[in-house]
Amino acid sequence: MTRPDRREVTQIRALHCALGRLNRVDGSAQFSHGDTSVLCGVYGPVDVKIYDEKLDRAHIEVKFRPDIGVPTTKDKWTESAIRQTFEQLILAQLHPRTLVQINIQVRQADGAVDAAAINAATMALVDAAIPLHSMIAAATCAVLESGDVVVDPNQEEIDQARSIHTLAFTNKAAGNPAYIDSRGDFTMDEYNRCYDLCATSAERVLAFMRKAIEGKVSKEAKLNTT
Amino acid sequence: MSQGDVANSGQVVFAIEAFKRIHPVEFQRRFLTQGTRHSGRGFSQFRATHVTKGTISTAQGSSTVRIGNTTVVCGIKAEVSEPDVKTPNEGYLVTNVDLSPMCSTHFRPGAPGETAQVSSEHLHRLFGDNVVDPESLCIEPGQAVWALSADIVFLKYDGNVLDAAVIALTAALEDLQLPKAELDSATGVVSADKTMGQRLKLRKRLFPATFSLVDGAYLVADADDAEEQLATATVMVVIDDSDRLINIWKRGAGDINRETIARCVEDAGTRKAALAKELE
Repeated sequence: MTRPDRREVTQIRALHCALGRLNRVDGSAQFSHGDTSVLCGVYGPVDVKIYDEKLDRAHIEVKFRPDIGVPTTKDKWTESAIRQTFEQLILAQLHPRTLVQINIQVRQADGAVDAAAINAATMALVDAAIPLHSMIAAATCAVLESGDVVVDPNQEEIDQARSIHTLAFTNKAAGNPAYIDSRGDFTMDEYNRCYDLCATSAERVLAFMRKAIEGKVSKEAKLNTT
Repeated sequence: MSQGDVANSGQVVFAIEAFKRIHPVEFQRRFLTQGTRHSGRGFSQFRATHVTKGTISTAQGSSTVRIGNTTVVCGIKAEVSEPDVKTPNEGYLVTNVDLSPMCSTHFRPGAPGETAQVSSEHLHRLFGDNVVDPESLCIEPGQAVWALSADIVFLKYDGNVLDAAVIALTAALEDLQLPKAELDSATGVVSADKTMGQRLKLRKRLFPATFSLVDGAYLVADADDAEEQLATATVMVVIDDSDRLINIWKRGAGDINRETIARCVEDAGTRKAALAKELE
């Protein structure tokens, strides 16, 4: 079968990441999977509202804005899912009585937006030097009507898919998924195939993230020595 | 024993309720480390679920569901509406979850909080086109369709919003009777005959099962409120009548491996049998 953009079934789209482009936030990252592009800005640790103040840890907040239109309950869902995942990953006990705010803005949506948002958030948190237990990278798979499993689907493939699976993996050796969102009409066998494909793709994304951070660090090192 | 007695060894001994409030994590650990839960349930034991259909006579479909101390009522009102221009043959199902201070102190009065919004959205994703065929809600293509407004109101909350909401909505949709409606093309008025109700033919029924990873180490089924507060990860599995998977949703980065997820899916299948009997 040929995919609309002629990719292999196991081929993810071209990844692109730009760190630290926003100058008001503490850290930022723009992460793209092909035509899907998400911008994330992180404030933290900053002042927290008394109501949200936690005595022993930082309060984590996620704001998610879609590319088009006002935020709806759909975006609230994404905010909640991302927040619950990063709440366990951020070493919040190091910054009690503060706030870490993760602002996500979708710039362009062409499928796998949730995965790009998780990736952008990870990179932005690193850019902001928020201490993390581990990094996570997300990947999406779609099971098409034909039963074929394709990785990193674009919107056209998602519209025709029988089920969509977004999984995020940490960079720890155990390799268990930090986040799973599998929806549609699928079998355990299809889920397992998607799991494996997402795990491999997430490894590639993590390797890419590592290179991006190394690039930023070496650039800063050069700036410091001149 | 009064609260805060100082025993001979110098330790302060608390009454159970005080201990539960002041050291919730330690309280739960006393049970979890012994392989049991504070309610006496086993790790993979779900609370008994009771479903009653038709509890609201003024709604076209309704149900009341009790899972332990969590009680929820679902009412579905059917209204005539104009279809979307892009989908002239399709009606709507709008789901709304209501979590108010009435059911628990976790929720504040006023606009729906995050839990309510997320639950409403998740129900919409699960039920969407999966359960009700939108074309079965059509009265007259391009002019009149049924808009089903499902309100899921929690009366008492003791953990597990989504399971209770899914079961309640499934039961209410099975209970739903739509009046036979006709569009008078001359006047543009839709007349509905209440006495000639017809039930919706549902595409499938959804059977949920939620598991929580308490204190980062103990995976328990159907967590109640006290256990939910200490969960570092939550997994929801939804299957249909033929055991096909509809949803696996894990949020919270607590560590759950592949084999555990597979076990959760199996347990969801076992629970389905009990739920199916209740829905009869």
